[in-house]
Amino acid sequence: MGARILIADDLSFMRMIQKEILGERGYVVAGEASDGIQAVEKYKSLRPDLVVLDITMPNMNGLEAMRKIFEFDPKARIIMCSALGQQNLIVDAIKAGVKDFIVKPFKPERILSAIEKALRS
Amino acid sequence: MALTGIDEGKLKKAFLEDADELAQKLNQSLLLLENEPDNRDLVNEIFRFLHSLKSESALLNFNVFSELAHKMEDVFDRVREGELTLEKPVLDLIFTGSDLIADMLTAIARVSSDAGFDTSSVVGGLSQYAASMAPAPVAGAGRALPSEKTADEERPWSDAEKRQLFEARDRREGFFRLTIAIDESEVMKFPRAYLVFTNLEASTNIVRTIPSMTEVADDASYAKTVIFLTAKEEETRIKAMAEVDQISSMELDHLGYAEILSPSRTSVEGGKEEKKTYAEPRKGLQEKTTIRVDTKKLDDLWSLIAELIQQKSHISRIYERLSRVDERGAVREELGESFDSLDKLSTNMQQVMMETRMIPISVIFNKLPRLVRDLSRKLGKSIELAVSGEDTEIDRGIVEALSDPLTHIIRNSIDHGIESPADRDNLGKPEKGRVRVSAYQQGRGIVIELEDDGTGIDPEKLREKAVAMGIEGASELDEAGLLDLVFLPGFSTASEVTDISGRGVGLDVVATKIKGDLKGHVTLNSVPGEGTLITLVLPLTLTIINALLVRADRLVYAIPLSGVDSTGKVLNTEIRGDDGHRTCTWMDEEIPLFYVGALQGKKLPRSDEYYAAILSYGMDRACLIVDELMEEQEIVVKPIDDLLNSMKRFAGISVLEDGTPVYILDTSFVQEGIL
Repeated sequence: MGARILIADDLSFMRMIQKEILGERGYVVAGEASDGIQAVEKYKSLRPDLVVLDITMPNMNGLEAMRKIFEFDPKARIIMCSALGQQNLIVDAIKAGVKDFIVKPFKPERILSAIEKALRS
Repeated sequence: MALTGIDEGKLKKAFLEDADELAQKLNQSLLLLENEPDNRDLVNEIFRFLHSLKSESALLNFNVFSELAHKMEDVFDRVREGELTLEKPVLDLIFTGSDLIADMLTAIARVSSDAGFDTSSVVGGLSQYAASMAPAPVAGAGRALPSEKTADEERPWSDAEKRQLFEARDRREGFFRLTIAIDESEVMKFPRAYLVFTNLEASTNIVRTIPSMTEVADDASYAKTVIFLTAKEEETRIKAMAEVDQISSMELDHLGYAEILSPSRTSVEGGKEEKKTYAEPRKGLQEKTTIRVDTKKLDDLWSLIAELIQQKSHISRIYERLSRVDERGAVREELGESFDSLDKLSTNMQQVMMETRMIPISVIFNKLPRLVRDLSRKLGKSIELAVSGEDTEIDRGIVEALSDPLTHIIRNSIDHGIESPADRDNLGKPEKGRVRVSAYQQGRGIVIELEDDGTGIDPEKLREKAVAMGIEGASELDEAGLLDLVFLPGFSTASEVTDISGRGVGLDVVATKIKGDLKGHVTLNSVPGEGTLITLVLPLTLTIINALLVRADRLVYAIPLSGVDSTGKVLNTEIRGDDGHRTCTWMDEEIPLFYVGALQGKKLPRSDEYYAAILSYGMDRACLIVDELMEEQEIVVKPIDDLLNSMKRFAGISVLEDGTPVYILDTSFVQEGIL
């Protein structure tokens, strides 16, 4: 069985694309979250192998969700997803310990190879 | 010092190791430069020495030191640029500066401070000189070493970075340069590089990144990022840590600390005559691979080897005992073979260990050119110094004890031996006096010859003086005996007192050191009017000796074989005199006779014949009666407690493998004529 992945993005369109890409490669999308609060809750209940976390989300942004997840599980594998111009936020996330980051818009192979590398570590 | 959280002692030690070497090379190169003022290689080299001394001292906040080195460095920088020429007064200032540097290093070693040194005359003098010459150079801030490219990658290591490297080297970490290229498609190159940086930072020490990770540059400039780091990890591990997505290529190079922490560690080897050293500089250059080892550790290892050698003797003895019982042939053979291997092994180990204790005598010889230069200037004499055999290796334990006597002899030669240029001219000698110093190994000893072509010593003058001093038997002494007189305490031949050698503390001090501390011999040959040759013969090492074991009553004594001429029997009828004044005839010579039991307060027992060892010390002989001549053995000399040695008759103590203590006899009593 492929690795279990949690997708967190406020745009359902983005979640759909990701689901498509990941499913094709054999990954299991264990759950979806549309804001930071959900992302944290679902991480705790689903215990996925990896989270793809968008930075810009309502209620609780991706960075804050990332911190809460790390508090719960310091070994969590998190890949941040950002838009151009969010360099500083990405650097903060790297300092906090995320495995990788991808920048929207991304090509399918980009998210796949990032996930692959992150899972290997 | 204001450094926090760092082992200052360690840092200081590392600094002193480097700086002492640099200071010595600086001095050597300055001496060479004096003869070849146009040698650009030398100027560059001196500049580098000073630059390193400046940087390393600044790192430890030795500011007086650093300022002086900086000022001197400035001068050489401008000489390199052709803006200054080195004239005699400047060179003298530089020499004074070089002396101050050496003095400050001594102070730093002792009290960890360079405060209290007055460098103002040198610093002021050099500034004044620099100001009086040519236009000032562009302000120094961005100045780079000639070998340093302007590229960011090649910018000099900052003090903080060097400090990191110092510590990493002490932790025995490897030093690496990781170069990564970030994939073109990556739209956030800095975060990408930062990710690699963060991953590495978790388990390595990053010394520098290019571009900087703290002062963020233009994103595109991170397309190629270079990371200098130190780590205990293997190269593959480091690469794995750096392995993230979007990296198109990665290169990891293992670097050396040496060139950064001491850019001048290139020792000049070979070159017999000092001048030749630079005539063909690069050809003679031969870098030795060295590691620094705590001498304490070497000493520990040395003790272990000493015990191994003792055990070897033990097995050898067991083997001999076994040999006497025939039916144990098989065991005997096996033991014999095993012993042979052990023998070879321990001999090799001993040899290798011995070599680690050995350092080239150049550590002492290198100081001589400067001594000769200074003394000849002071005395208005012109002297050429020829040094050879500076590669000859000596035990590091004797370096200190040997340095003073050598200096003393050279001072004597220059002060009393070599005549003034005018006198030499009158005598038909070349104006330039010649002092020759050479060293070589001979058998298990080191020979050092110090020769001058000066006035020599007239034995008859010595006789006159000895008679005047009331020395017994002076009127009958032969030439060798007369020359030996110069080693007597208080016997100085200088007719006038000078502040170079002084009066009365002459060669007797040399003789005491060489014979006493170094267990060597010193002889003097001289042809009046033509010169003097002093020859020192020193044992290779002082810790393991071959000795003759003898017994008196129940105690065992060891006599160093170097002091034993022969052994044999002496008939009662050959002995004359009584307690304290006995003599016997040996090779047609009447020599003093002692009983080793006297050391325990025993009197010579009555007997028709006695076992005896004929001992020698320099030219003197004596016969030592013993109760039993036991055997020859390698023994390990250990220092003896003063309480057990109130009469100073013992050179040390040793323990045989069966636990018997052995007192090692100091054979200098032969010369003194008292036991």
